[in-house]
Amino acid sequence: MSDHLGHVVERGAQASPLHTAGMALECRDLGFSYTEARTQIPALRDVAFSLEAGGSLALLGASGSGKSTLLQVVKGLDAPETGAVLLDGAGGGEAGYSGLQRQVGLVFQTPELQLFAASAREDVAFGPRRLGWTEAEVAAAVDEALELVGLPPERFGERHPYALSGGEQRRLALAGVLAMRPRLLLLDEPFVSLDPATRRELSAILVRLRASGVTLVLATHDVDLAWALCDELLLLDAGRVRAAGGWEFGEEGAGLLGAERLREPFLVQLWRRLGRDPRQAPRTYAEAAEALA
Amino acid sequence: MVMTTPPDRIGTPEGTPAPLLDVRGLRYVYPGASVDALAGLSLAVGAGEFVAVVGANGSGKSTLARLLGGLEKPAGAEVATVCDHDLLTHEGRMNARRDVGVLFQNPENQLVAECVEDDVAFGLENLAWAPAEMLARVDEMLARFGLTELRRREPHLLSGGQKQRTALAGVLAVPRRILVLDEPTAMLDPAGREEVLAAARELRAEGLAVVYVTQEMDEVVGADRVLALEAGVVVYEGSVDGLFGDGDLVRRLGLGLPAAGELALELAARGRTVTPLPLTADDLLAALGGAS
Amino acid sequence: MRPAVAQYYPGDSPIHRLDARAKFVAVTALAVALFLRDSFAGLAVFAAAGAVAYVLSGVPASWFWRAFRPLLWLVGLTFLAQVLFAPGEAFYSFWIFHFSWEGLAFAAFLSLRLLVLVLIGSVLTLTTQPMALTDGLAWLGRPLRRLRVPTDELALMVTIALRFIPTLLVEVDQIMRAQRARGADFGSGGPIKRARALVPVLTPLFVLSFRRADELALAMEARCYRPGIVRTRLHPLKAGVADALLLVVTAAVIAAGLLV
Repeated sequence: MSDHLGHVVERGAQASPLHTAGMALECRDLGFSYTEARTQIPALRDVAFSLEAGGSLALLGASGSGKSTLLQVVKGLDAPETGAVLLDGAGGGEAGYSGLQRQVGLVFQTPELQLFAASAREDVAFGPRRLGWTEAEVAAAVDEALELVGLPPERFGERHPYALSGGEQRRLALAGVLAMRPRLLLLDEPFVSLDPATRRELSAILVRLRASGVTLVLATHDVDLAWALCDELLLLDAGRVRAAGGWEFGEEGAGLLGAERLREPFLVQLWRRLGRDPRQAPRTYAEAAEALA
Repeated sequence: MVMTTPPDRIGTPEGTPAPLLDVRGLRYVYPGASVDALAGLSLAVGAGEFVAVVGANGSGKSTLARLLGGLEKPAGAEVATVCDHDLLTHEGRMNARRDVGVLFQNPENQLVAECVEDDVAFGLENLAWAPAEMLARVDEMLARFGLTELRRREPHLLSGGQKQRTALAGVLAVPRRILVLDEPTAMLDPAGREEVLAAARELRAEGLAVVYVTQEMDEVVGADRVLALEAGVVVYEGSVDGLFGDGDLVRRLGLGLPAAGELALELAARGRTVTPLPLTADDLLAALGGAS
Repeated sequence: MRPAVAQYYPGDSPIHRLDARAKFVAVTALAVALFLRDSFAGLAVFAAAGAVAYVLSGVPASWFWRAFRPLLWLVGLTFLAQVLFAPGEAFYSFWIFHFSWEGLAFAAFLSLRLLVLVLIGSVLTLTTQPMALTDGLAWLGRPLRRLRVPTDELALMVTIALRFIPTLLVEVDQIMRAQRARGADFGSGGPIKRARALVPVLTPLFVLSFRRADELALAMEARCYRPGIVRTRLHPLKAGVADALLLVVTAAVIAAGLLV
């Protein structure tokens, strides 16, 4: 982990994004609905939670529970009908809010859909260019991001996005968001339809990102991934918050997860069955193996 | 998600009938490629067998699926017979398309018609079935895959799992002897995955020969046999347990392991070998409890 | 949400139950007849026929209104043209605008004719399922096969295109949102700037569609589709007495409209 970060810092003239403090996020009584087939569908209802700078939040819930909608409202692609999104304590309409919104990165589901440029570098540069940076700053950010996602710029920089494999395209799309140096990173199901090898590598990348101080919000079905990456969770059901806060592994906690057809993380279950304290269960398989070997 | 093996299927004592699918030395090259996608692959599958095919991206599994379905022309083979059709001839491939059903990975890009029941009927319409018989068969397929209430629903209003079930119903509406599934759950969420796996489980009980291509190890449990592909050739063929027993091979192939298996690989890297690779917490606990 | 003209309103009215081919022939014949003669009386006959069909169809007025709305600008344009190039005596003039009774009457006629045309056309599209309509057209176009026109394949292409429209709309929206999340701005700037802003949306859409075409073709072949085969239909078209009646009534309306 430190090797990689050290490498990045050495190359760039600008401070690496990974050393910028994360952004604090708060949602107050968010309400949002949209119209489909002439009916009003309430996607979010009274959603409230807070996440401190550098924190990590898992957004759990079934399909249609509102996870994607919440991420898009936080990013500012949709304005909430009621309530407010506070970035670093500032609300919409306050001075500097749009600047803060630009520091929020959102990676959509199957983000390969957004690839369009003629080369990997050009595509990753799209976001940074729109932030008004100089060409030199953009180039540095692009190379840094490509390096970070495991697509070394020397080999992949000029490759055409459509000539890359599915896993490589996913990494490229992620680089496109990371190059914008987000202080709050929102990820919507980052590993859907990825091959196992890429899943493992991207997991490791996200772990490193989190450790560097970026605030992380991860919407996912994968409870084990959520456990590995996030200290807190927010459980959504039909747009409402069912549970928020730390992972509780008492009777009630497991019951809440079960009601949403989610199970407890594997390592938690294992720790409990081994007679150890489930709240002290390790986050990664490597740590677990260390403890058991 | 354990699939049970019907007890009297494997190792039939009396003279086993000729395999439904017999392929030897199968080769395929993508146009303009310098390397064979399939470099001499051999596989035989009998009626009622459930064979899993695993391998990383680029190992040739999807190519194999398409060739078995008669959808591509092989570059060559010693033998390439599928349901008595010769895949090396054009007519053989066209006929193979009728007897071999193929379900692909992306549910969205398999649905052609404007509503579920019309899509399920698509294959039958292509074979010029009479409308009355078609309707009966479509009703049967819809009921079988739990789609009856959705029969007039438009595809874009279906969930991923529902789309894939519709595609499967459409593939099986045409009576098949072999079903090839090419990573059918890769793009689905856990709920959708479970729906498709449940449907696949039912099929093997019905005597269809099933070839299930996947990168996820937990989907091969209960298969009669598993083939592991690497760079277009078979590097392992045998029982599922045998493959799980070879941790090095599994790691090299880069396959997706369930949590227990991942943990076991990490333990092995620290000197604590757990064989065969466990799939569930139960397996792991049993192995750990026993070993220490 | 598909544009109103192509939208189907599910129902079981006498009009819904008519065969798609008969409806298409009737509507086409009426549309042609509408333009054969410039007469308010004739127009009234066709309008009445359209109104009867509307009532029988059971489709709510709001759905018809959605088809009319985009044409209001065309109506405005028609009036403007008449006012700029008025035939006959102007009763009032202002700068380049000349108002004459003949001009206004003609503009009114043209506009009403357009609305009647849309009314009749909408009855067809609102009461006929797209698949039935394409099947019907394929059947009617069968003679063209002699001229090597692949009517059945074209019909299938239309069906597939219609099937994917809602899907593509969702995908376009998703792509636009993803690019907006990267700072893309689709709303500001002059026409050239806006057009260029669409490249990050159109390029992926094209690639997605080509890839889709590849995969769909493979899936279709896997279900025994080949161009040129004879296909049966799950819901075959069945013409009956009501359809024959429709054609007779249509002929009568046309005669009345042209002779009145």
